[in-house]
Amino acid sequence: MILQAGGITHYYKNDLALDNVNFEARRGDFIAIVGESGSGKSTLLSILSSLLRPSHGELFFEGKAYTLIKDIDAFRQKEVGFIFQFHYLIGYLTILENIKLAAINKKSTYIDTLFKQCGIEAIKDKYPDEISGGQRQRAAIVRALVNSPKILFADEPTGNLDSHNSQNIYELFKTLSKSGTTIIIATHDRKVSEYADKIIEVKDGKIL
Amino acid sequence: MIGLFFKALNRNRFKTFLIYTSITVAITAIFMITSISRGIIGMYSTMLKTEGDIIVTQAKIADTFFSDVNVSLADKIKTISGVKEVYALILGASPINDLPIAAIYGVSENRFKTYTLTEGAYPKKGEVILGKNINARLHAPKFVSISNKTFSVSGIFENGVGFEDGGAVLNREDASAIFNKEASILLVSMERGHEANTLIENINALSLDIEAKTTHEFVDNYNQFKIIETSSNVISAVAFLMGLLGIASLISITINERRSEFGILRAIGKSSNFIITMVVGETFVITCVGFISALLFSKALLFMIAHIEKFQGYVNGELSLETIISVFCFSLFMALLGALLPAYSASKIDPIILIQRGAL
Repeated sequence: MILQAGGITHYYKNDLALDNVNFEARRGDFIAIVGESGSGKSTLLSILSSLLRPSHGELFFEGKAYTLIKDIDAFRQKEVGFIFQFHYLIGYLTILENIKLAAINKKSTYIDTLFKQCGIEAIKDKYPDEISGGQRQRAAIVRALVNSPKILFADEPTGNLDSHNSQNIYELFKTLSKSGTTIIIATHDRKVSEYADKIIEVKDGKIL
Repeated sequence: MIGLFFKALNRNRFKTFLIYTSITVAITAIFMITSISRGIIGMYSTMLKTEGDIIVTQAKIADTFFSDVNVSLADKIKTISGVKEVYALILGASPINDLPIAAIYGVSENRFKTYTLTEGAYPKKGEVILGKNINARLHAPKFVSISNKTFSVSGIFENGVGFEDGGAVLNREDASAIFNKEASILLVSMERGHEANTLIENINALSLDIEAKTTHEFVDNYNQFKIIETSSNVISAVAFLMGLLGIASLISITINERRSEFGILRAIGKSSNFIITMVVGETFVITCVGFISALLFSKALLFMIAHIEKFQGYVNGELSLETIISVFCFSLFMALLGALLPAYSASKIDPIILIQRGAL
């Protein structure tokens, strides 16, 4: 088991966002967390990826509690990748600089491979505001994959993409999961069922 | 990392410019206030300390302009062992030609040598020598009118002391007729190897109406200097504090607006230390650039002020190394404080919360 979560409860001030959620993921799983807007799926994804500390509950990565991980920043850089719905690239850096900022090995040829794989090698010297939404999202995917994370989290990764680009991204995720990367995505796009191994539905902060 | 500082500063060009301008203006203001007040004190001190180890004034008088000393004491002081020379000076101010006010120095003949002539000769009775600045201001006159008395100009001098170069020097007797006193002060120059305190005791023993001090002690305790220095320090401190608070709050607002950026950096695995180093680096760069600009501006302004004819060279600046270093340290400290507080608080918040609080 690569990721385990038990009794996850989270409040935003007094509002309950997640209520006693349990979750498990194995190496190479492609899991889709689906649900309506405001159901709690993004909150669950943020907690699972260590970007948000839950109000209650425990999380384990390869059997080790998150709270016992000494350097959580290094953990985020090395073990997990996160793709946001809105790319969140740093505006004053070029695409290549954005990727290198996240990369552990900044001279790796893997960066070039990823650029080619995502079809954005031509825009690596451009700034985020000089390229299309689809290109920005693919750049964000390259950034999330640059350190070959064991788990890739994606929050509505195809939310701003057309069907063709969405399909490409799902296929890329599928390839990654087959090669051993665990993929966990939060989406309300029902097309994901064609690619995901497991669908988890969240409603009112609970897994159905 | 250094490239990142400049890219981040370049990204927010308008805010960077605002911070840079605030730093430059605040530091220039502090430099101008302190250097002008210190310049005034410095000019007067230099004037008194030239060939003057000990100063003799009327006892219990607050200002040298009101002091009246019996000039016959000069001869008595000269007989004291260890005294090299005694100079009598009348310090006054009066309109000269169309100038409403100018410094007038009535000096004993033996002090003429302290005025470096650039042309002409030292004054005889009914003559004056003019400082370089006032001579230019009055368009090199042949005659000048001081307190309704006409004097011919016998020479021009340049001492490099604004107060003197902006004034007129005449012999003590002529000045005595204008200001109705024998001498404002006596300046005593000592032979080498003699103890100043012993000389002062001997001078003070000559009359109860006089008070002798070393010129160093006099300058340190002169009431007018204390007033100038205290008011300048208060104004400087208030101006500086306001400027620095402005800088700190502007930087603080700018850093606060970048919380989402910090959230993204944390999300991709950058540590809190990385973010703090980045913020410190940016702040250091902008403070240094602002400081250097302020230093150059201040030097240029002081040069301009010193050469404005209207001021007759009376306003002169003196920027000490001590002031430069302390202003730099305080500016950097406040700028870093303004930057570090929001950066530190951001480093304690979960990345996703930082990202949700603002968009790039």
